[in-house]
Amino acid sequence: MSDRPSLAYYMPSIGIRYCGGCNPQIDRSKVIRKAKEGLKKIGLKVDFCTDREITTDIILLINGCMHACLEEEYPRKDKTLRYISIKGEMVGRQYVEEDHIPEFLIKKIVDLFNSPSH
Amino acid sequence: MMNGKEYIDSLRDLNLEVYFLGQRIKSIVDEPMFQPHIHTAAMTYNLAHNPEHQEIMTATSHLTGERINRFTHIHQSIDDLVKKVRMMRLLGQKTGTCFQRCVGLDGLNAVYVTTYDIDQKHGTNYHERFKNYLLEVQKNDWMPSGAMTDARGDRSLRPSKQKHPDTYLHIKERLEDGIIVSGMKAHITGAINSHEIITMPTRTMGEEDRDFALSFAIPADAKGVTYIFSRQTNDTRRLDGVLDGGNPKYGIVGGEAIIIFKDVFVPWERVFMAGEYEFTNELVETFAGYHRSNYGGCKVGLADVVIGGSNWIAEAHGIERASHIVDKLTEMIAMAETCWSCTLACSYEGYRTSSGAYHIHPLLANVTKLNITRMVYEWMRLAQDVAGGKIITLPSEKDLENPETMEILTECFAGKEGFPPRDIIKMLRLIENMSVGAGLPEAMHGAGSPAAQKIMIARRSGIDKKMELAKIIAGIHKDKYFENIIGKDETAHWNEVKKKIKGKKVQIY
Repeated sequence: MSDRPSLAYYMPSIGIRYCGGCNPQIDRSKVIRKAKEGLKKIGLKVDFCTDREITTDIILLINGCMHACLEEEYPRKDKTLRYISIKGEMVGRQYVEEDHIPEFLIKKIVDLFNSPSH
Repeated sequence: MMNGKEYIDSLRDLNLEVYFLGQRIKSIVDEPMFQPHIHTAAMTYNLAHNPEHQEIMTATSHLTGERINRFTHIHQSIDDLVKKVRMMRLLGQKTGTCFQRCVGLDGLNAVYVTTYDIDQKHGTNYHERFKNYLLEVQKNDWMPSGAMTDARGDRSLRPSKQKHPDTYLHIKERLEDGIIVSGMKAHITGAINSHEIITMPTRTMGEEDRDFALSFAIPADAKGVTYIFSRQTNDTRRLDGVLDGGNPKYGIVGGEAIIIFKDVFVPWERVFMAGEYEFTNELVETFAGYHRSNYGGCKVGLADVVIGGSNWIAEAHGIERASHIVDKLTEMIAMAETCWSCTLACSYEGYRTSSGAYHIHPLLANVTKLNITRMVYEWMRLAQDVAGGKIITLPSEKDLENPETMEILTECFAGKEGFPPRDIIKMLRLIENMSVGAGLPEAMHGAGSPAAQKIMIARRSGIDKKMELAKIIAGIHKDKYFENIIGKDETAHWNEVKKKIKGKKVQIY
């Protein structure tokens, strides 16, 4: 069991990093907007933050396509980084249709913050 | 790693059943009709030992950490994808033709990626089997041919509905220790001078085609495997001397063959897909993506040769400064470099798959190949234009050497000072070989015909996103960036603008 307070008492923070968006296969901001709305609906308060200077519990890499430019920068520089990577219609290693990415993402976020290692 | 000579010697250990022009060919290595193709494949081995080219031609195995020929490597990074196409261009430049070995390389990578995904879904152990096989390929530096295209028969019918059951390669029987397969694979590049065959399905299979959803590897001389070597343009010129063939060292296209499998036994440890029809699309598309990207490398290498040859001929004819010649050569260069840009782009825009192997950008790879299907014809047309009509009316080598006709022919074919007539004929024959023969339809249909590329391009273009872009610019949908710039709601902004311009007229001077 984690010694961290449960999600009922603790507001996790997620850093959002967008790729440059040269030719995205998904609407990146819509995905995040829907995910935020979904989290609100289930009553989970999350502090989202795009400021790169602020340290957060995890980082959400929003890549517009499979090339995943952000993966070249973040996980490679910091091997200990806890992150979820969206790469077009892939979330991590799983193919997810664009419309289903928000709900998939919510589940991943909840699982991540509920995991004992967190 | 083998060198070129060791590769050729290794083929002597194989006992293939090969037929050509109605005869059984006893020795592949010694058959004059096959030798140019073997020399070309040998180049892929030879350059790996050359310090000038090792950086491109070799890689570090992710399985053993050892230095291996890049043709047996699983791409581990974007850099690997880029080096792969650099290797293709280099080999095109060194041989002026198809060097055959990329099909096996793409087969290795595509099966690697797909077996991982099959195992994730079905809990099978195909990927582990395949890695064991890959270790053998790398250790022995084998050249596997990639056998994808089936005979296909009536293309309006599914594989399982064909009149002849062997029209598509399929599983006939499942045994405890392996499978029995039969069928036919068509126009398989480098088949008669490969050590192994890797098979892949040629199309997406449905549930009724379960037994056709098949991938495996066998030795090229496995029992029950027969080859029929295909004809090529002017192929028997190889038996008429040295000059008339055009590229007597390396030949023309890759040396394709039909492979017939008749009740061939494949042990389970060499079976990588056996019925998982829902993964046939992934395997076909992954292979096609890799293979289509190659064409922007190898064919551009060939373009380098034919552009150089065309320029040399223009100099020999004393027309190199004519503005239309300069213009044509520049056009050829621009088209070749356009294709090169495409293949570099699809490599740089590649991505890491779940298996850890890297794959190219599929949309850009298909654009690369579609450009090749058009531009190769165009730059070869310009090569013919620059070279002149002689490329199709040249006298034979025998007439050039006949004392009765030698002198007059030699004198009349002399060009500008310093360009010996025999050299001019050699170069014209090379241009003929590259621009008139089988290399053109090979550029069209190899790695799939243009229609196949267009299907993939249409499927992956993201047309909905493009429509949305247009709707925003046209003002049909909200433009949040514009509203940021003007600092207010767009509708309010245009209402204000309308008020401002009300009553104003265009000033006419």
